[in-house]
Amino acid sequence: MVSMRTAKLVAIGVIVAGTLVAESRREYHFAVGPKAGVSVMNPYGSILVRPSSSNTVVVNAVLHSDKVEVDNSQNGNRVDIQSHLLAGADADSGRVDYEVLVPADASITLHSNTGSLRAENLHGDVSLEGPGADVDVRDVSDAHVHVKTMNGAVNLDNIQNGHVEVDSLSGDVTLKGVNGPLVQVVSTSGRINYIGDFGNGGEYRLTSHSGDIEATIPAWTSADVSARSVRGEVHDDIPLQPKSHTWFAIDKGRAFAGTVGRVAVSSTVVLRTFSGKIHLRKRSEKQ
Amino acid sequence: MNCVELQQSLAEVEDGSRLDQRAHLRTCPECSSLLRELELIAATANQLQAANEPSPRVWNSIEIALRQEGLIRPQRADRSLLPSFGAAWGAVRWLAPAAAMLLLALGIYVRRESLPRPVAEQAAVVAPAVANPSDLNDEDLMQEVAADPPAMKTQYAENLRRVNESIRDAQGAVDESPNDPDARRSLMDAYQQKSMLFEMAMDRSEP
Repeated sequence: MVSMRTAKLVAIGVIVAGTLVAESRREYHFAVGPKAGVSVMNPYGSILVRPSSSNTVVVNAVLHSDKVEVDNSQNGNRVDIQSHLLAGADADSGRVDYEVLVPADASITLHSNTGSLRAENLHGDVSLEGPGADVDVRDVSDAHVHVKTMNGAVNLDNIQNGHVEVDSLSGDVTLKGVNGPLVQVVSTSGRINYIGDFGNGGEYRLTSHSGDIEATIPAWTSADVSARSVRGEVHDDIPLQPKSHTWFAIDKGRAFAGTVGRVAVSSTVVLRTFSGKIHLRKRSEKQ
Repeated sequence: MNCVELQQSLAEVEDGSRLDQRAHLRTCPECSSLLRELELIAATANQLQAANEPSPRVWNSIEIALRQEGLIRPQRADRSLLPSFGAAWGAVRWLAPAAAMLLLALGIYVRRESLPRPVAEQAAVVAPAVANPSDLNDEDLMQEVAADPPAMKTQYAENLRRVNESIRDAQGAVDESPNDPDARRSLMDAYQQKSMLFEMAMDRSEP
């Protein structure tokens, strides 16, 4: 008679073997020219994009079951990758995790419903979208960075000279060292946290309907700041040179407006919330 | 007639042939350019072949977009426009969505153009956009995500609730202070966020 221990070992063996059979890897290579376009559509799973060392797009995909396959196509300088869910696939069995290497000047479009979306060390345009996807973009320069999420957290770190637009319904948005001609965040209930110097001469508009907004700036910042919470409150730790004229009434505790630093190179900073709090604070030496 | 009135009137008489329209168009290069673009879209739509009929997804997207813009009302008995558009219209089927897209484009254009205008004009433009949020068909959105995992459906429902709240809040602020640009901006942002939610529900990759 088979002992209990043997039965358990057999059962574990079957499960492990099944997992190994189900999970598989695919690798695809595409030769592209300058400023290629790369799109990855992945219903379930993560996507990480990093720069490659050549004019080649390399796609490494880990498929978590045989209920999903990877469709790929190249049309000229454009590469499209799509996770194709087969009958019966769900969020677990339909999961594919991608690591994609692209030339640093490539423009990328990533979509995932649930996985994390990450892009780093690029200088082509970056467009990331996913209802529940956590988004992390870092070390990107001279590019458009567009992010749309429903409840995923958004982290942008070291985006230089970017045209940045983030739309998030309820996810928290953190911008660290992000500057450029336009930096705009619109959220319904997410918290917005900006840490940086607001660059030179850009337009920064951070808006959350009910979420709090916090901006932490260093002493050398030059910015023309206006902040207003329609039903909430505002706090200002930094002495601003008051403006002689504003189009809205400066209701103490609900709004402030003024200039910090050198007017000639200052950026325009607009902080708005309906019912959240706004806090403009000075960055400490440790930060 | 000013720019806003002309653009609104184009939704009813789209060729700009009325006397007052013509008078305004003679003096306004911006509106003349808009009219030329609309005519080009209409002409291009006429040339489309029946063989190029779009997928049901496109019809659905147009329907939802029109509802979001408040240009059509939800249909309770038959929730989709698909049968009525697709059944027996033959090649003419393209004309209806083309007209719908014209109206939609016009609506968006009018709303966008309202931003830098004087306050009196803005109030007139904002008014149609601030319909009761219940006019937007939330049921359609939830049906779009019906096949999603339960956790995702819950997230859509929760975010829909929040964005509807934000629309109500902002609407209240606009009613209280119609000349407050921040209140109007809040309302516009709230609608855009709701629009994004619908867009995400429709655009997500499906099995």
